[in-house]
Amino acid sequence: MSTSLETELKKPDLGPVAAMALPAVGRRGIAAFLEIALYLVVTMVVAIIEFYAGGFTGPTLFGNKLFTTGTPGDFGPSNWLIGLVLFVAWNALTWRRSATAASRVLQLVFVGDDGRPAGFVRTMVRSVVRAGVLFALPVWLFQGNQVLWLALFVGTGLLLRVLPLHRAPWDLIAGTTMVESFGIDLGEDTGPLTVADLQVAGVRRSQNNRAARMLKGAGFGAVLVSLLIVWVVFSEAWEFVTAEDFSWSLLNIDGKRRGWFPRRDLYDLPTLLVGTLWVTGIAMAVAGPVGLGVAIYLSEYAKPKVQRIIKPIIETLAAIPSVVIGMVAIFFISPTLLSKLFGEIGIFSILAAGIGVGILTIPLVASISEDALRAVPMELRQAAYGLGSRKITVALKVVFPAALSGISAAFIVGISRAIGETMVVAIAAGGSGGTLFQLNPTEPGQTITAAMASLGAGTDQVAGSGIAFQSLYFLGALLFILTLLLNVVSDAIVRRFREVY
Amino acid sequence: MAAITVELREQLRTRRSADARGQVFRGLLMLALLVAFAALIAVLYTAITRAWPILSDRPLDFLTSNTSQSPEKAGVFQGIKGSVLLAGIVAAVAFPIGIGGAIYLEEYAGDTFFSRFLQVVVRNLAGVPSIVYGLLGLAVFVQSLGGLTGGRSVISGGLTLACLVLPVVIITTQEAIRAVPSELRQAGYGIGATHWEVIRSIVLPSAAPGILTGTVLSIARAVGEAAPILVVGAVSGFFQTGTLSFLEQTQSFFTALPMQIFAFTKQPTQTWGAHAAGASVAILLVVFAMNSVAIYMRARLDKKLRK
Repeated sequence: MSTSLETELKKPDLGPVAAMALPAVGRRGIAAFLEIALYLVVTMVVAIIEFYAGGFTGPTLFGNKLFTTGTPGDFGPSNWLIGLVLFVAWNALTWRRSATAASRVLQLVFVGDDGRPAGFVRTMVRSVVRAGVLFALPVWLFQGNQVLWLALFVGTGLLLRVLPLHRAPWDLIAGTTMVESFGIDLGEDTGPLTVADLQVAGVRRSQNNRAARMLKGAGFGAVLVSLLIVWVVFSEAWEFVTAEDFSWSLLNIDGKRRGWFPRRDLYDLPTLLVGTLWVTGIAMAVAGPVGLGVAIYLSEYAKPKVQRIIKPIIETLAAIPSVVIGMVAIFFISPTLLSKLFGEIGIFSILAAGIGVGILTIPLVASISEDALRAVPMELRQAAYGLGSRKITVALKVVFPAALSGISAAFIVGISRAIGETMVVAIAAGGSGGTLFQLNPTEPGQTITAAMASLGAGTDQVAGSGIAFQSLYFLGALLFILTLLLNVVSDAIVRRFREVY
Repeated sequence: MAAITVELREQLRTRRSADARGQVFRGLLMLALLVAFAALIAVLYTAITRAWPILSDRPLDFLTSNTSQSPEKAGVFQGIKGSVLLAGIVAAVAFPIGIGGAIYLEEYAGDTFFSRFLQVVVRNLAGVPSIVYGLLGLAVFVQSLGGLTGGRSVISGGLTLACLVLPVVIITTQEAIRAVPSELRQAGYGIGATHWEVIRSIVLPSAAPGILTGTVLSIARAVGEAAPILVVGAVSGFFQTGTLSFLEQTQSFFTALPMQIFAFTKQPTQTWGAHAAGASVAILLVVFAMNSVAIYMRARLDKKLRK
């Protein structure tokens, strides 16, 4: 029983030719290659005839000669036209027997690749786009009337569309063409049925494979970006560290507080680190309690209706560009808010910048903490309520500890964001040309990011090379390592301390 | 008996006091919320009141005139143009790669070393400060590929911002794709569709609102970013665009709205403060509009999923 089934499933044995059988894809590929080669040869022959015989002097259309003058050196697009016409004609004449794999290429170009009959509008749009990209654009770049060429190729596309090319069994045709046009017999697939034989038809399969390849390429794009960042930033930073006039005074080993003045070749890192610490600390002092408060309120107290109002507002806060916050810092936070609290205070100060960065960080802390709080299972709350706990007890003694890992991750991500925030500090902290080492947050100062911004800003300030320019990359590398470490730590905390319910 | 009653009363008292604590706690939470709202209102209030001289005098003229040395004539048209171009380049570059990468990760990658590596890379890329992307742009697009991009040009800026939003697009698209119920997919395979056909006709349409939300938000972010294009070399001062062709313009000096705000804030506040605030109002309008679209789309998606 089973043997007869196997025989039934076997394909006809074609004898010795079968030994040379190529896989279907390879066969089609060779056919397509030969076909395109033929097309190119025809085109080249026509070009040579044109060049030496003085060319075709034919009819004109809208003042454009349909065929070029043939003057040597007059590179006319008529080669394309003649080649294409011959090609299409050849295909049309022999089409029943040998519309070939390269017609499939043409079909891809002009008709579309899904094998479905397309409507008139769809065909037009497709033809315009493809003809534009593949033919009109190159022609345009050299010479000629673009509209004419576009029309010609759209016309060809429509013509091809009228011929029922999309219905032809392209795979089979490709095989027979090889035999009948070129006398090459590539054989047949024989042997037992394989998975490949049962797979969907070629067009859909190749489409499927093409999609997979393209999507994988897109994934590689992301990796490429990250590798580029690491390579670029660290190689330039290395040049800064190994430069001749570099000294480890950057790390301030000799204890002299000089300040950060890159244009005077003073690179005192502690100046920037102190500024960064202050800004980050102030920002988290603002964003930590506020963000956590908002998160607890949203997840534990607010009714769904209230949530639906509050959440978009918080998201709106998250959407404010940092330059705008910077502007608010010098127009409102410093003159209105801080001068009331501290009396005389300059417009530009670390404090104002820190508060601005804090405002930016609130939504981030709030949303990540809220997610963490929400991830705590309802059963825990219900159990606590069942024991007679009050809402505050549930929130602080049950939900908060259970969500602690997520909340600390939120704080760390907040810190990382605050360290990396640039524009608020660049606008509001002052000291853009350089700054002295000082510990007072009500004075102007600079952070790592703000120093980078003022180094990189403008076209005239820092030339494309030199030590000041490379210090930019050194700071970038520092920043990259800092934020990366914080992100890794927050990930690790979430994974390590996550309560599994 | 009496002792128990006293104990009970004691307990009741603690509960009452706990309730008072609860009220205080609730008040604190409301205070936090209030601070967040106050911050938002302060931003809007500052931007609008500071920009009032311009908003009341010449709102359209401000939007349609070029940068200028004189405050009465200066406008942000070039900034708007630059921002639109940047957004266009970001959309053209980051969306296909980002959405494609996300589809690959979700649908094709499986659990290989490469896909896990890619996941980690994308997650960490999302946390890299924006100014570091500026360095990438400066080294790669401005210096290495300067011949193609024209150096400090809008193309370099756009490509840099595209790199910046790429991880965000990938992550949001992945989440949207993950939310598509697997029954839909199975049904697709069941009627004999190929993998790609299932993705194109079933997964992507179902995930479209989520993907759109993510892409709109990332465009809004790109429009608001100043730090990377500052490093890549957006110009803060006056420059001309009149005689250049479109292709030449994309390869020459550029500016953008956030860059202009930065430049205005560096000028004396008395004369140029209104310009900074006016440009801020313009950019806030754009960003808020995009955000509303995103929030609306997500709300509709939620409703659909709940059905």
